[in-house]
Amino acid sequence: MGMLPDEIKPAMEGVIPSHVVTCSRDGTPNVTTISQVYYVDPDHVALSYQFFNKTVKNIRENPHALASVISPETLEGWDLEIEYERSETSGPVFDAMDMRIEAIASITGMKGIFKLKAADIYRVKSVRKNVDERMPLAEMDG
Amino acid sequence: MIPENVAEFVQSPIFLSIGTRDETLRPAHAWVTGAVVAPDRETVTCFVVEERARKILSHLEANGPVAMGAGSPTHEAYQLKGRYLSSRPADDQEGAYLESRRNGWLALALRCGYPEQIARPLILGFRHQPAVAITFRVEEVFLQTPGPDAGKKIG
Repeated sequence: MGMLPDEIKPAMEGVIPSHVVTCSRDGTPNVTTISQVYYVDPDHVALSYQFFNKTVKNIRENPHALASVISPETLEGWDLEIEYERSETSGPVFDAMDMRIEAIASITGMKGIFKLKAADIYRVKSVRKNVDERMPLAEMDG
Repeated sequence: MIPENVAEFVQSPIFLSIGTRDETLRPAHAWVTGAVVAPDRETVTCFVVEERARKILSHLEANGPVAMGAGSPTHEAYQLKGRYLSSRPADDQEGAYLESRRNGWLALALRCGYPEQIARPLILGFRHQPAVAITFRVEEVFLQTPGPDAGKKIG
């Protein structure tokens, strides 16, 4: 059995933007919003590498990252401790992410700006549901 | 010093989040439910719900570097980086500010086209009290709006 439960999959459809925190070798954190954390398999996710930005630079220096995702179905938030493994510039994961990013760019008016350079593959080290950050839907209704 | 337009942006009802790291350079994240820029624009006080602040504060008290991301549904975004100064429980006046800010945040998301059936429970579903007020000195400000200037240092 892998690290990622099935119930987390809707949080990786790109409906609600995700956050990723990385850290440089000198210890400076970096937080950024990304359009999608892509589900690869029960032990891996992929992040889109679109620009050579601080996130990309940091994970080449220090492979540890934290991805925070929210399910559009249950609105539950999850924290994933992840570790960078490799980059893919072709293949099924790259193609699927490329197509999804094109669609997100089209919907959000960012066509021509969002462009996938690589699918960065991360191993999931831990998964935590953030029950302390969000109110359950039932509690809101009540 | 934080540029004036960024100070205004950070205090408007937008998405905010904070990043820290532990001694082994493993990062942590929490949503921020509001932020106030000091009049001299040198420091920011941001608010994190108490339960989520514990890990962040353990990092900040052990080392100190902090990053706060600020982004709007319009894609305009900035990042403020600096060093932790202090923390304390948010007071009643700040609690009222956080409550009113949620409504402004929801209104902005709806204006920007977020579907109400997602935006309303998403935004109103963030716990915001009891909150911890975390103050940090801002040392660098970066543009994060997607595009050719993303990552540019602007303050």
